[in-house]
Amino acid sequence: MSGREERPDEGVAGPDQPGPLDGPVSRRWFLNRMAWVSSAAATGTLLSRAPAVASPGGPVVTEEAFGQAVRIQDVGDLTELTLSQSMTLVRNGSIRPRDLVEAHVDRIEAFDAEFYRAYAARPTREELLAEAERVPAGGPDAPLRGIGLVPKDNFYTADLLTEGGSLVFEGFQPDYDGTAVTLMRAAGGVVLGKGQMGNLAGGRAQVYGTTTPTTRNAWTPEDVRYSPGGSSSGVATAIAARMAVAGVGTQTGGSVVGPGTAQGLTCIKPTFGRISLHGVIPLSHTRDHVGPMARNALDAAILLQVLAQPDPMDPRTLGLPRPPNYALAATPFGGERPRVRWPTRVGVWPGYLSDDDDGESRLRRDLVAELERTPGVTLVGEVSLPDDFDVLTSSPLGGSHGDPTAFFIEHLRRDVRLFGDRLPRFLNGMLQSADSYVKVQQARQLLLGRMTSQLFNQCDVVLTPSSGAFDGTGLPVMCFPIGFDTDEETGRRVPRGAIVGAAPFGEERMLAVAAAYQAVTNFHRERPADPMR
Amino acid sequence: MQVPTTPASPTDEELDRYILTRYALMGIDISVLPESDPDAPMDQRRLLANGRSILRQDVEAADFTIDPQLHLPQLYPAPFTAWVDEDEE
Repeated sequence: MSGREERPDEGVAGPDQPGPLDGPVSRRWFLNRMAWVSSAAATGTLLSRAPAVASPGGPVVTEEAFGQAVRIQDVGDLTELTLSQSMTLVRNGSIRPRDLVEAHVDRIEAFDAEFYRAYAARPTREELLAEAERVPAGGPDAPLRGIGLVPKDNFYTADLLTEGGSLVFEGFQPDYDGTAVTLMRAAGGVVLGKGQMGNLAGGRAQVYGTTTPTTRNAWTPEDVRYSPGGSSSGVATAIAARMAVAGVGTQTGGSVVGPGTAQGLTCIKPTFGRISLHGVIPLSHTRDHVGPMARNALDAAILLQVLAQPDPMDPRTLGLPRPPNYALAATPFGGERPRVRWPTRVGVWPGYLSDDDDGESRLRRDLVAELERTPGVTLVGEVSLPDDFDVLTSSPLGGSHGDPTAFFIEHLRRDVRLFGDRLPRFLNGMLQSADSYVKVQQARQLLLGRMTSQLFNQCDVVLTPSSGAFDGTGLPVMCFPIGFDTDEETGRRVPRGAIVGAAPFGEERMLAVAAAYQAVTNFHRERPADPMR
Repeated sequence: MQVPTTPASPTDEELDRYILTRYALMGIDISVLPESDPDAPMDQRRLLANGRSILRQDVEAADFTIDPQLHLPQLYPAPFTAWVDEDEE
């Protein structure tokens, strides 16, 4: 019997609330799913070129997503609106999609240079305003109409260069949109530009082919030393600086939650396969994930809802359980003090809490104390890690040396200098032997099974200092801001964040915890000062 | 009959020749990089050092024993493999 079937406290918050998705998925479901995928592969239907948006699965954006009422006269600056608030005001006619887009273009033109460019390629103002006027593929009531979004520069866009932060793709113009971009646009979202990124999805954004940083952290634009986080650097800076409402990054090793925590954002890397990677420059076919990045849990949930669709062009997305209502999960409810939607056991990673007097340690203790006061949350304390955890998560067994090499041979032959400081990551995979590579895959499976049966039998979500164990295993992980601290090196006030992980398809659990926390805290509402011009 | 013995561990120089031969076989030229320049984004010295590390890690991977009956169920070790327990029949 697996640990999933042993949980004592599985239950629902109320008579009308269904349980979260991490509960009912079973071994029987897994076997049925595999039979379906095998059948589809045999008949060729997995390789259909039907556009992803034509085969939606799961609920569309639901009424909960429009839950945050706001009066337009209370909003001095349209760029301060959250995604949910923007949707609500567009739907009730208080503002036009054009108004939203124009406000963001104004801000980008005023400040992007001061941030040393959060954006790589951008459409012109006229092109963006024209797009805001058009009826999207999703129809006149599409939920994201006029919402300014920023995909990382490794998402294919048919109208904008896609350079992956690297000389390798300099001047690359795809002839189609990646599936995530297609879905965002079909829902009415307006792509304000492409987010600068670390060289081939590694590290902070730099001038191509050099180690000279570009994009600055939105909280410290005047100080190059404090990193914006990588590799989804530009996406994070654009959102934190109110130059976009939300966006999408990619994560192979912390590249969504890293910049998210560095810039006070709420971001989610869902379970492997939940969002299509078709039309994304690949790094590792076993570890890459698309991750929504936003300012609060509800906004991240809404974007996840739009993107969590099966895609015939990415077989990793097919046959998964139907996406649940993420916006509902991110909506706390009840009484004077909001509660999490489902009873949830929260575990703490070994060493996560300490008695140290530094700022981050204090913030972590405050977070845990706050969660302990949250109705529906049961703190289970420090968890024990799965057997052989250190061996299974460290190099070489926890690595992915060979993955990127396979995709880039032609570019390596063209000129190795194009890869800059990332060359070893792409070239040296060819030195890993096949037997070692198979062992790495076995180790990853071993770790995944043990994370599920030996760790998530103790808790439903776990606070963790790093996303490392969740990247290679494809488990979901998210981040949200928990306060501010003084950076030791620069002496500047910077945001700090928490990282929380869950079992497969446990996105609702994480969103519910983050939303309940954000219902009684204001860190996610803080806005960095405008840079000096 | 000769008894097998554990060969001496290859030297850095031997591994460097192996690495360069492998790159040459694949048609990849690293001579365009500076030999050693800490200020350059990458140089041959750092690249070869990384390559030697990768090769030596292969030994560590080989030394870690995993049940040969732990079969990878599919191309992508996606999360649903979590329900295939180690000790299940």
